[in-house]
Amino acid sequence: MTALLAERVSKRFGGLTALDAVSLTVEPGEVHGLIGPNGSGKTTLLNLLSGFYQVDEGSVRLDAEDLSGAAVQRRARLGIARTFQKPRLLGSQTVLENAMLGGWRDRSAGLLSTALSLPRVRREQRMLRDRAAELLAGLGLGHALNRRANLLEHAEQRFLEIARALALRPRFILLDEPAGGLTGAEIERLGAVIRTLRDGGIGVLLVEHHTEFVFGISDRVTTLNLGRLLRHGTPQEVRNDPEVIRVYLGA
Amino acid sequence: MLGLLATLPWWAGDQYQIHLAALIAVYWILVAGLNLVVGFTGQLSIGHVGLLAIGAYAFAILAGRYEWSPWIALLASGSIGGVCGLLLGLPSLRLPGFYFAMATMAFALIVAEITLALGDLTGGGVGLAVPGFSAPFDSPAGFYLLLLGIAALITWFTWNVARFPWGRALVAIRDNPVAAESVGVPVFRMKLAVFVLSGITAGVAGALFASLQSYITPDTFVFELGLFFFVCIIIGGRSSIVGPLVGTAVLTALPELVAPLAKLGNLFYGVLLLAVVLLVPEGIGRLFEVLLARLRPERAASHVLEPDTERLAAAIRKGRDA
Repeated sequence: MTALLAERVSKRFGGLTALDAVSLTVEPGEVHGLIGPNGSGKTTLLNLLSGFYQVDEGSVRLDAEDLSGAAVQRRARLGIARTFQKPRLLGSQTVLENAMLGGWRDRSAGLLSTALSLPRVRREQRMLRDRAAELLAGLGLGHALNRRANLLEHAEQRFLEIARALALRPRFILLDEPAGGLTGAEIERLGAVIRTLRDGGIGVLLVEHHTEFVFGISDRVTTLNLGRLLRHGTPQEVRNDPEVIRVYLGA
Repeated sequence: MLGLLATLPWWAGDQYQIHLAALIAVYWILVAGLNLVVGFTGQLSIGHVGLLAIGAYAFAILAGRYEWSPWIALLASGSIGGVCGLLLGLPSLRLPGFYFAMATMAFALIVAEITLALGDLTGGGVGLAVPGFSAPFDSPAGFYLLLLGIAALITWFTWNVARFPWGRALVAIRDNPVAAESVGVPVFRMKLAVFVLSGITAGVAGALFASLQSYITPDTFVFELGLFFFVCIIIGGRSSIVGPLVGTAVLTALPELVAPLAKLGNLFYGVLLLAVVLLVPEGIGRLFEVLLARLRPERAASHVLEPDTERLAAAIRKGRDA
């Protein structure tokens, strides 16, 4: 089984060390929670894994394959998908089109065959459309396929981002605060979705502020503080760790 | 629609109207390609008149001085336009929006100076006579039909690009490049590919334009012409093909057909652009869309977001097995 690993990764912005020799492993079929106070480096770590930032020290690997220095696109093609803290959708495009974009790596037709509308182009479009529609139906967005994405409510936008990430057929999905702005009931549904991803064999990295949600759903939890690893373990271990309680959870 | 346009030579009032229709077709061949760059990918090129001039001079020199077959010269003009698009796009497409626009403007100004300076090749300020095509395309009506055919073909190409996944990703690059990257879209490579395509259509349009005018000088390719192409697309609307097509036809024909507007010249374009940007910033293409949407109102859907996890699990399994 292939795991996604960050090994003693460091990242500096100017004089500020955002991450200092942090290691983390996401296994397939597990939910790995990543928590910590604001500015502790959670999103930085996610960006190092997805390739939006490059490591200054340490390495990012997909099992034996070294991904340090690999572009975002290459990591996406290898099956690493992500969502964003603030949903990044194509507002002027439909829900279906937004989700179809996620299937990019499975089409091969370029500009020339597209301009000529070769049979392969139509076949690939059908394949992406069917896949996106299935995923959207599964996520509860089946009724809104042809709606412009900027007309969606906030929770729908979050779920649409997950649909786009899933259309990539990811081995790993990195969720950046997916519960942000959701109501209690919506967070429960998000939980059901995340469990379904995990049970489907996808490795989930869950960056989240909502600690109860993280402890309830994660198989393992990593806590960061000021760019350093604070504690790593099962939800139970992390939750009861005196140091974690002191700097983050509070009494 | 195409059939109606094809019969134009038989019901047009005079030769001048055929010439005007031919001019619209030529402009559209360029604008159709440029539309993928500006309207779909969001790269604001205002200097495509430079590529038009290169295509025009290439054709005039190859078919005129060197007496190549006009057909071969036409293909050569398109290729040269594509190569120049590549050379312009490689360094400039990485620049942020405003600087990219400036780079294309500088390119157009440089081309204008070069056509003036290389007098031995281009005839300098005196210009060059441009040969026409062979029968049956040597009459105004015949040439018009040729232009219409090429314009229709290129419209079909861009329509395909606009509706299939490769081209949908162009819109993603325009609206949210970070999201596009996150699913693996090679942003720069695609910008470059579509820019080269627009160079080819500009080169082809240049050759046909030169042949239509039958005489070209550096003054034929004033910088305002580049702005004109750009404005046709902005007025027509983003992510639309019909919009810019209508924009090109109206902006080309109106000042010619309505004499008082011609006197206003650039003022007419200026006022029209201002009106569109202020009143319908998304262009007339969007106006069509909104009207169409009014005709078939969407049902008010329930707002309960209820995932169907079994169905989701099945979809994920299918993805793993694929």
